[in-house]
Amino acid sequence: MPDLLACEHDIAGALCDTRESARAVRWLTGDAALNERRLAIYRANTAAATTKALGAAYPVIEQVLGPSAFAILARDYQRLAPSTSGDLNELGAALADVVAGHEMGQSLPYLADLARLEWAAHRAYGAADALPFDARAIAQLPAQQQATIRFVWAGGTALVASRFPIVRIWRIHQAGFDGEFSVDWSTGEVALVAREGLRVAVHAVDGGDAAFIAASLAGEPVGAAAERALANDAGFDLGRLLTWLITANVICAIHNSEWEP
Amino acid sequence: MISNLAAGIGLRQPHYGEVFERRPALGFLEVHSENFFLDGGASMRVLERARAAYPISLHGVGLSLGSADALAEQHLAKLQRLVERIEPDLVSEHLSWGAVGGRHFNDLLPLPSTREALDLMCARVDRVQSALKRPILIENVSAYVAYRGNEMSEFGLLAELARRTGCGLLLDLNNLYVNAVNFGLDPLAALNELTPAMIGEIHLAGHTGTDVGLIDTHGTRVCADVWSLYDEACRRLGPHPTLIEWDTDLPTLDVLLDEAGIAASVAARSEVAHA
Repeated sequence: MPDLLACEHDIAGALCDTRESARAVRWLTGDAALNERRLAIYRANTAAATTKALGAAYPVIEQVLGPSAFAILARDYQRLAPSTSGDLNELGAALADVVAGHEMGQSLPYLADLARLEWAAHRAYGAADALPFDARAIAQLPAQQQATIRFVWAGGTALVASRFPIVRIWRIHQAGFDGEFSVDWSTGEVALVAREGLRVAVHAVDGGDAAFIAASLAGEPVGAAAERALANDAGFDLGRLLTWLITANVICAIHNSEWEP
Repeated sequence: MISNLAAGIGLRQPHYGEVFERRPALGFLEVHSENFFLDGGASMRVLERARAAYPISLHGVGLSLGSADALAEQHLAKLQRLVERIEPDLVSEHLSWGAVGGRHFNDLLPLPSTREALDLMCARVDRVQSALKRPILIENVSAYVAYRGNEMSEFGLLAELARRTGCGLLLDLNNLYVNAVNFGLDPLAALNELTPAMIGEIHLAGHTGTDVGLIDTHGTRVCADVWSLYDEACRRLGPHPTLIEWDTDLPTLDVLLDEAGIAASVAARSEVAHA
């Protein structure tokens, strides 16, 4: 093995595990004890980068836990799901899973779903800008074709369902929230995360709307998705939902080719 | 083309609004490339607005050119897309590694100054420059450990890298100073390895003293010793586009503009002396 690769592996081993420091120190000049202390600077750099990147993706969880507990979660995250990319936007995809198995997630059972919501919001933030959509394209179709079209959703659109009121929890932690902070813990919520222009919006959607959106996001045609929604909620109002989603540009195009599941 | 007398600052999120409102007279703005590895959205809109108002320098911190096992081709593809989209004036990365065996430390770890490391860096810089279809700048990093078995000096390696690949150098004088103190070296000796034509940009930043050495924190004003080193570098190598780098404990925009103003006046003085 060439020297450089062996050297990098030994230093990486020492950065992951202090008990492996001696492997790294043999590649280094100068006082071994001082080198061990200086390797700690690099460990701290990686820990700080991890905490900062997780905090950027999960600002609500950071607020809920507070900075010290969040730093501990970040440390455990680094151990359980180490970074694999130099692009820190990618870091944090596994937080919901890590939280689900973590004592913090056991004492705050809504935390894993909140993590799913925040990760969806993080992805939506940097998603491609949607092109404007002229809804007259739908009206111009013959009536029998309207049920077979499929919608193209703005990049980053996602649904996150929870047995906890995650939209409410998310909302009261937003900067500038000035309402009252009460949370009704008796109901779950389905969050629709969507880019509206440059802004990431999070809405609570009811059962019928959620069923339609989930089916349509999965590629089902409008008619089939609406049937699922009606099965879920006899009062489902397709016209109202589409007016909202098309006006907000969350639905941003249509496919009227044959549906290929 | 950024003027050699230009001074710039890092464009950081808390200052976005104020920079666009005030449009301060700056020679350029620098951002971390990876913060804009996005398909769209508010951050991309900010960078496009910045691009319309100022020359832009894309400074990468995550490519890990010195990883001995593999170059992160996916990361390079994202950088290539960003460069095509923004058409920046400068693109830079580091003489460092940060990942091996699939594990990323998201840090700038130093490389040994060996022929093996030089050959690897030459191959990697060639690959990046051919992907981006433009020369890049490579920066010297701060270090807290030094390797046994070095076969040349760090700046000897950088100079040879520049000669072989045609890349430029991003001379970080704070990193040079931090290393000089941490390892008992003469920072001026490094400048003797360089020629004015090799240098594409200079970085100035603050560091923090600790009982194990100086740490490159980018969280304070540039210290007096680093200003002296800058003065000397400008005298010997001429002025070059200079960035005030500040990443932690971000101060008000005015503090950054004040530091950039000092850099610009030092550069202007050296220009007169060179003329």
